[in-house]
Amino acid sequence: MRRITPRLSGRTLPRRGISVAAIAATGAIALAACGSSSSSGAAGKQVPASAKQTIVFATQGLGSEGTATATAVKAFEKLHSNIKVQILSLSPTSDVAFEQLSQRFTAGSTTPDVITSDVIWPAQFAQSGWLANLAKFHPATSSYFPGQMATGQYKGGVYAIPWFINAEGLYYRTDLIKTPPTTTAQLVSDAQAAMRKDHSLKEGLAFEGDKYEGAVTAFQSMGGQLSPSVLGNINTSANASVLTFMSDAIHKYHIAPSAVSTWEESQVQDAWLSGQTPFALNWPYIFALSDGKGCKPGCAPVFGKTGWVPFPDATGSPQASLGGDDLAVNAKSTHQAAAWEFIQYLSSDSAQDARAISAGDPPSVKSAYNSQLYAAAPFFKQEQAVYAAATPRPVTPVYTQISSQLQTMISSVLSGSSAPSAALSGTAPTIKQLLSTVASGG
Amino acid sequence: MTARQEPVLPAGQAEPAPPEGAATATTAVAAARPRRQGSYSLTKQDRRFGYALVAPAVIVLLAITAFPLVYNLWNSFHNADYLFPTTFSDFSGVRNYTSMFSGGQFLPSLYRTLGFTAASVAVEFLIGMALALALSRKFIGRGIVRAAILIPWAVPTVVSGLLWKSMFDPQNGFVNYLLNALHLPLAHTTWLGQTWTAWGAVLIADSWRNTPFIALLLLAGLQVIPRDVYEAAKIDGASAIRTFWRITLPMLKPAIMVALIFRTLSSFLIFDIVYAMTNGGPGDSTQVLAYLNWFAMNGESNYGLGAAISVALMVMSLIIAAIYVTAFRTEQVG
Amino acid sequence: MAAVTSVVPAVKAARRRMRTRKAAGWSGFYLMVTIFVVVSLFPFYWILITALKTQPEISAGTTGLFPAHLTWSSFSSILSQATFARSLLNSVIVALSTTILTVIIASLAGYGLSRTTIRGKQLIMGFLLVAGFFPVIAMVGPIFITYRSLGLLDNLVGLVIVYFIYTLPLATWFLTGFFGQIPRELEEAAIVDGATRLQALRRVIIPVAVPGIFTVAILGFIFCWNDFLLALMFISSPTKYTAPLAIMNLGQSQYQTYYNLIDAMVVIITLPIALIVLFAQRRIISGLTAGSFR
Repeated sequence: MRRITPRLSGRTLPRRGISVAAIAATGAIALAACGSSSSSGAAGKQVPASAKQTIVFATQGLGSEGTATATAVKAFEKLHSNIKVQILSLSPTSDVAFEQLSQRFTAGSTTPDVITSDVIWPAQFAQSGWLANLAKFHPATSSYFPGQMATGQYKGGVYAIPWFINAEGLYYRTDLIKTPPTTTAQLVSDAQAAMRKDHSLKEGLAFEGDKYEGAVTAFQSMGGQLSPSVLGNINTSANASVLTFMSDAIHKYHIAPSAVSTWEESQVQDAWLSGQTPFALNWPYIFALSDGKGCKPGCAPVFGKTGWVPFPDATGSPQASLGGDDLAVNAKSTHQAAAWEFIQYLSSDSAQDARAISAGDPPSVKSAYNSQLYAAAPFFKQEQAVYAAATPRPVTPVYTQISSQLQTMISSVLSGSSAPSAALSGTAPTIKQLLSTVASGG
Repeated sequence: MTARQEPVLPAGQAEPAPPEGAATATTAVAAARPRRQGSYSLTKQDRRFGYALVAPAVIVLLAITAFPLVYNLWNSFHNADYLFPTTFSDFSGVRNYTSMFSGGQFLPSLYRTLGFTAASVAVEFLIGMALALALSRKFIGRGIVRAAILIPWAVPTVVSGLLWKSMFDPQNGFVNYLLNALHLPLAHTTWLGQTWTAWGAVLIADSWRNTPFIALLLLAGLQVIPRDVYEAAKIDGASAIRTFWRITLPMLKPAIMVALIFRTLSSFLIFDIVYAMTNGGPGDSTQVLAYLNWFAMNGESNYGLGAAISVALMVMSLIIAAIYVTAFRTEQVG
Repeated sequence: MAAVTSVVPAVKAARRRMRTRKAAGWSGFYLMVTIFVVVSLFPFYWILITALKTQPEISAGTTGLFPAHLTWSSFSSILSQATFARSLLNSVIVALSTTILTVIIASLAGYGLSRTTIRGKQLIMGFLLVAGFFPVIAMVGPIFITYRSLGLLDNLVGLVIVYFIYTLPLATWFLTGFFGQIPRELEEAAIVDGATRLQALRRVIIPVAVPGIFTVAILGFIFCWNDFLLALMFISSPTKYTAPLAIMNLGQSQYQTYYNLIDAMVVIITLPIALIVLFAQRRIISGLTAGSFR
């Protein structure tokens, strides 16, 4: 096909092309300069609590949790006829919900007004200036479990209020294990004995070892020390022995399959509910699935045979890694008073109990553990022992990065590519450095 | 992209021999068309018309690519770390770039990513080529087979990642079940729990989804090659391998180049499957560059660092594309 | 003749050998093709049976190639959710919008690049190539902030715009080449007959270019249909979810992944794509070929 048009030299840039590019670039830079100013700062004019308004509540949870939230919202709207609550559904996956919230905060959005925050986020959000300091509303901080209340307190302010608590403990089969172990050595021997006796058991201990946040909570529940005094140098003998135990459970004692290095709560749940393990480390939702009304036929192997205790610790002070959700208010929200009303409602005993009974979310308010609750769901009594040992993960704005380091460390130990002590000594300086960046900067 | 000066014929299309009549016909038509003041204003009008036609596409794409690019460039030289709001937007020079390297993760991640890219391109190209050759033959059920192998490509990548993660589950997954049933080795491997097997699993998941597309591109390229070329080779007594090497492959070069660039850059920027299957583990052995990029923004809230990594990724992508184009250009000229 | 009678059995034997070799060649070929098909489709089989399994059976892991009990409960549970049905509609709307607009814009640009005398064609083609391989992950932050000020967040229109990154570069680049293959006589003839250039484009060129357009339309549609990353960042209300978002949100709770639900959704979502691909595969490939046209 012949061209009748002249060939291009291709060497000189057309003037028009350059000018278009220049305009685009200038425009982009201008937008960038405007858009990237820090999104923290004071909120606009505040709407009083008595005025008619709509607040946006960003929360996770579909299924029974979603239903429970909807019920609470309806009840709240009945009590406060001038306030409407609009629910913004976040992803059920914690990491993704974090991204979704971060995107809104970095964009300086005034909504959502109230957010559900995983217990490890408030410090990071607060440091970035994205959360309102709720101290001005004088919250009753002593009515909550201290471990969880601490997750919302940062640099003297109160940035989040506990909503419901979670703690990770050791499930054990009451028919196979007569008395729950109090030391790891006893756990090992109990598990091995059970496996020898009952050949239908596939493993002795199921826990979460995949490279994700759950590995850090598992590490902490098994005795890993991450308190402020230790965090500066995690290379302690206590931590080394916990890591060694995690590794030995797989490679030396053979009570945990090597598959645990790919397991998350879902797989541990499957292992537990199908009755193939006498011990499993997991969160309270398993209790409802194992012993709750209407859990059959899925729970048949473990129904009525489920016990739950803090993971044994040789030093005598066991830990249960703290989870759960807090409630916080967007610093840019113009409906902070109404938001506070909503949060207060959700903290009331009646709301807390209602959610606990319908969705299985354990109350974060101490007074909600009352006879009403126990009548409807007796296993909450047993859960209290675990919550008493609830230990929060580090409350620091760089927790996400610290966690990433810990996840890498645990993962490399479980896969056998690092020895526990080497992994600890390699990770400790990085964590120390992360802590120093936030201590010195902003 | 073709090497020739005419930018209009892109790679993959062999220029058919122009019939003699066409040239004379077009020049005759051109001569017959009345001109105004010589060919200059006709060209100018033509040019304006052309710009108008091209403008929408260019504007839309500039808006969604150039803008983020410039924004990221700007951000990469400023402090955009939300953990330090008081010094936000301050000019930070090359600090984001130096911290990118001083973190100690960028270079290892780069090597890992390059290694995976080389492996996946090799594997997927070879299998894709075999597949394309097979599908270019006429056989019964060819249509159904073509459709069947294209279907993996219709699944969202993130779902594909989840699917393969469950298939590689050491206790409950299908892979170990099958290996066990066939009494093959590796039947009890914790696939995602060890470095090399984790990479293997990622490679398998990636290949399953992407090889069909490569096969498609190569198949299209194969279809362009006229039959008489093959027949001439057969008459000359060339063996199948010789035919492939000396005739098919050279004529496929444009399609191969497109397929290779596409595949190389996709592998280099891989994220979804790694995120879904391994989250960078075990340890950090599958932590690819795109993952670092994502983590800087979503884990560390440091958009300055994230922007720097984005810029680095874009520059490297350009270099890779340029390498391919140059390599194929010299091939064609030489 | 004596030579012929002695040659015939040898020729027959040779023919027989060639037949067996050919048969062996063909059976080897079919074996390879079968392996390809099985490997490609087996994970789908797995998805399908997982969608039909009961939850306890899934928890128990892989026990065989065939499920013990089949149930439609996953499908009925998914189809009864308004969010999911809505998400299918949203995906169709968005993917179709982007595809149609892309076809229009790319056709215009392709015609312009292949037929007119504009300067800077190489620059533009190069830009298209770069845009086609743009790391999408780098786009998210800046565009999110822009969309917020423009009010395009949580808005399907915003998605349509960003999805151009998946469809426009390749479509334009490809159609340019495709149009370049079409002989000039076609439109010259139309212009001589009195049509304007745009009319010639519409009435003469486009009909001939249908295979190529069809190809880029299908490929573009699939790219948009499958996107998860951009949809995740720019859409937040369940009523505006696209299909991949619905899969990830409805199939997971905080601690659990419900594979039976996810797989049911995947089956429903992939079925139309699979059917399109099945019926259009010849068109797709011939469109990509662009070597000859009828």
